[in-house]
Amino acid sequence: MDRLRVIGPVAELEIFTPGTPEEALAAIRAAPEGEVAVLAGGTDLLADLEEERSRARRIVSLRRLPWRTLDWTGPSLSIGSTLPLRALELDPGVRSRLPGLYEAVHAVGSVPLRHRATLGGNLARSAPASDLIPVLLALDAEVELFAAAGVRRLSVDRFVRASRVTAIAPGELIRSIRIPEARPSAFRWQRVRLANDISQLAVAVALSPSDRRWRVAVGGIPPRAIRLAEAATALGTGAPAEAAVRRAGEIAARAVPLVADRRASEEYRRRLIGTLLARAVASALLPREGVG
Amino acid sequence: MSAAKRPDAAVKLAGGAVYGTDLEAPGMLWGALVLAPVAHGRLRSVDLAGARALDGAVAVGPDDLASLLPGGGGDPERPIFPRAEISYRSQPVAAVAAPTLETARRAARAVRVDAEPLGVVADLEALFPEWPGSEAERSPDIAAHVHARHGGVEAAFRDAETVVRETYRTASIHQVALEPHACLAEVRDGVWRVWTTTQSPFGVREDTASLLGVPEASVVVEGTWVGGGFGGKGASLLEPYALVLARAAGRPVRLALGYREEFLLGRTTLPAVVRMETGVTAGRIVARRVRLLLDVGTSLPGRDFATGYSIGFLLGPYRTPAFEVEGYAVRTNKPPFGPHRAPFAPQCVFVVESHLAHVALELGLDPEEFRAAHLWKEGDPTPLGQPVGPCGLAAAFEAARALARRWRAEAAPGQGVGIGAGFWSTGTGAGGEALARLDGRGLTILQGEREIGSGSVLVGLRAVAAHASGLSPARIQIEYADSSRAPFDSGVFGSRTTAALGRAVEEAVRGLLTRLAERMGTVGPVTLEEAGDGLVAVHRSERRSVEELLTPEERAAGGLEASGRHYGRAGSIDERRVVAGTFYPYTDFTGSVHVALVSVDRETGSVRVDRYAAFQDVGRLVDEGSARAQVEGAVAMGLGTALTEEAIWSEDGRLENPGLLDYRIPTLGEIPPLEITFLEGFRGAGPDGAKGLGEPPIIPVPAAVAAAVRAASGAHLTELPLSAERVARALKLL
Repeated sequence: MDRLRVIGPVAELEIFTPGTPEEALAAIRAAPEGEVAVLAGGTDLLADLEEERSRARRIVSLRRLPWRTLDWTGPSLSIGSTLPLRALELDPGVRSRLPGLYEAVHAVGSVPLRHRATLGGNLARSAPASDLIPVLLALDAEVELFAAAGVRRLSVDRFVRASRVTAIAPGELIRSIRIPEARPSAFRWQRVRLANDISQLAVAVALSPSDRRWRVAVGGIPPRAIRLAEAATALGTGAPAEAAVRRAGEIAARAVPLVADRRASEEYRRRLIGTLLARAVASALLPREGVG
Repeated sequence: MSAAKRPDAAVKLAGGAVYGTDLEAPGMLWGALVLAPVAHGRLRSVDLAGARALDGAVAVGPDDLASLLPGGGGDPERPIFPRAEISYRSQPVAAVAAPTLETARRAARAVRVDAEPLGVVADLEALFPEWPGSEAERSPDIAAHVHARHGGVEAAFRDAETVVRETYRTASIHQVALEPHACLAEVRDGVWRVWTTTQSPFGVREDTASLLGVPEASVVVEGTWVGGGFGGKGASLLEPYALVLARAAGRPVRLALGYREEFLLGRTTLPAVVRMETGVTAGRIVARRVRLLLDVGTSLPGRDFATGYSIGFLLGPYRTPAFEVEGYAVRTNKPPFGPHRAPFAPQCVFVVESHLAHVALELGLDPEEFRAAHLWKEGDPTPLGQPVGPCGLAAAFEAARALARRWRAEAAPGQGVGIGAGFWSTGTGAGGEALARLDGRGLTILQGEREIGSGSVLVGLRAVAAHASGLSPARIQIEYADSSRAPFDSGVFGSRTTAALGRAVEEAVRGLLTRLAERMGTVGPVTLEEAGDGLVAVHRSERRSVEELLTPEERAAGGLEASGRHYGRAGSIDERRVVAGTFYPYTDFTGSVHVALVSVDRETGSVRVDRYAAFQDVGRLVDEGSARAQVEGAVAMGLGTALTEEAIWSEDGRLENPGLLDYRIPTLGEIPPLEITFLEGFRGAGPDGAKGLGEPPIIPVPAAVAAAVRAASGAHLTELPLSAERVARALKLL
């Protein structure tokens, strides 16, 4: 395991880059609570250190773990937790078979940021504004957690609890994210800027080829992105009629607990839901090779 | 652009340019500021004991100034730490320094500030729900009042066929220079020396000396390379604190802001409310009334320049037979107002252009035809009675209309084209001086400004010296010296560097040429030419080696020297039109007209700028590469003012979005392809007819975008920025 001492003007940091998950867990366990942080991209962590929101003195970087993987097994996809988002974005299979995931990954930050950022890091931070969690919800994704005692799996819906709160237990690391099947899907967002911005509201939809039913999830809302079962049901099975899409949008606009903050008013967010939902459904239904 | 045109490119690319944040000195301490915890409050105590207990830490607060400063505590009107009353959140109440930044920050957190909260004034309209009346003149909430009128405005409104009234609101915006404020200070042998990133070393010297109550001659300011200023680095900000800390510590102290602090402490454009009223008869404007409430934060009475300067822009470059303008600079619990590239002018131009277009549309007239019919012509009086000088505004407007017609013909459904027109006047500041030194091989210009990134010093002044001397820029060196050695100059702001300091450079170079002419026995024009490694002075067919024309003493001293000065050349206004306050005349008239083609998403209100064109009056094009860069940068920055940038202040005087995540400047994704056309020949006040160019191209941007949004969607917006949510509201989607 590499260990580096960085002495900067702000703080002295110890940086570990373990090569195995066991070493990583040992390095985490050896540091006092609150003084260790796991690095799997660093989008938030580096800002937290700079702004002194984090008091971490030991950083355990996961970049050398053998988890930068992308594996298709039949219809299902397993994404290693430390695979840079840019690799996910550039994978032709992801783009054609999970277009909603591609769109969501493409919406994250900027190209340089996506070379660093990871799906595991995004899930572990579990930010309300995450552009990835809504689409993972719509794709019925599962999180695989590694611990010394073994591996457990749970749905993203159960893993993500609230802003920066997840179901991860001490002694666990996110090993991979599994998506059960390729699905026609789409992700639509509203923000001020095209890149390097936080969505005021985001909608992900996916249509399961196995049960012919839709999944709808909304993000950009505190405390966390949510699945909208009733709105999904209103879309029916297969390609919905225009009236069904409108009804689903109305249901979604009523169902989502929206707030006003410095990024948008509550009523503007509510107005956006139906529009983004309709656009996402239309996009998901566009013919694409390799889907379904 | 070739590397030769940017003499700073090599040193910057190689990392050799020392910026403010690069400053370090052996044995230095790291400084940090303790910021006020409330926006308004009675200061009970500042307890520094916790900070001083930390290893190697130094702390200074309000009670320490009397002993640290020779004059007994500095300027009583502007104490650097509040003595009794906190007047804005983030006002520095104490400063600390320590051997590491981490310890300094810990020390800052260890300072206990006890303040009793008082009522906060953060919102202009809450303070004056009814417009201020004559009693407001004496109100402590008013920092300045300006009022001018002409031509029987009441009667004109009474007789007008149609009167249109509107209210506009504009947002607080920040400069967002890439490099934050940073300095390094040292006090030794009675000299208060500071190295700092600044647009005005002499301005910082004057301001710092006054704030600390020390003689100006004992303060030495040395500028570093500057990573962008945009008005935010024109006055002192950190220097007095760093110097006081250095004095207390007996060691050099470095003080630099993080980006969050940059937002909290920076001085910039604050919100404003404008009421517009226009009377029209038979398609002609007969009367205008403009009233402005401008938030100036904690600016002191008598120190507000913005109201009197900007209010002229609210009438716009349009003939108006009868008018009244009245503006109030309103004090609130925010940092003092500070300039942001063409201070408040883009907002004013957005208001006047949007309003006059609205007036035209209300009357069923073409908004561009309506404005074109009223545009100033040379010789027309401005509202304050100054004759309009040579100005490319009308020619630019005509060219812009022709382009807009073409773009409209090509526009897709959902797209719209708009035009915004504005003017500016080259700043003079308090004047400036330069020294020119000629030896046998080249010409050196010694002056007191650092390059802030625009090229105005290293490219602009060099081009001026080249134009005046006949030499190629490669033979001209621009040399900088600190404030104790350089000739005075007021600063790199107001679009004045190449244009006004350039006049001093031009005069200095002409002084050299005159001396050479005398030595050649002529009074006729002499120019310089390169001859191998050397230079020759040329008068008609006579050519003399410069080396031979210099005296042995001059050769030994490094060359023949001549100095140049330029202390402005402003026009004058008709003081009979002024009722109250200070208005400012223009030195020249620079026109800028922009055309925007935008798409509006009619379901979300999102605006995308698809194409953009700028027609820029330059007087004389001094350096095309730098001029283009100024227009490109200004348009990009103006798109932020138009669409995305807004500093949000809460009712209790807290800045809600102090950071680049939620204060959004445009990225390349928001910046459209840009076409630039320069108009030459309308001579300005700069060297050989040039006009200042740093600010003019930002001025029409919000107006052009707003006009295009209206054309594309019908949405009439009266508030900046034109956020998607505001557009959605204007489209009645909410």
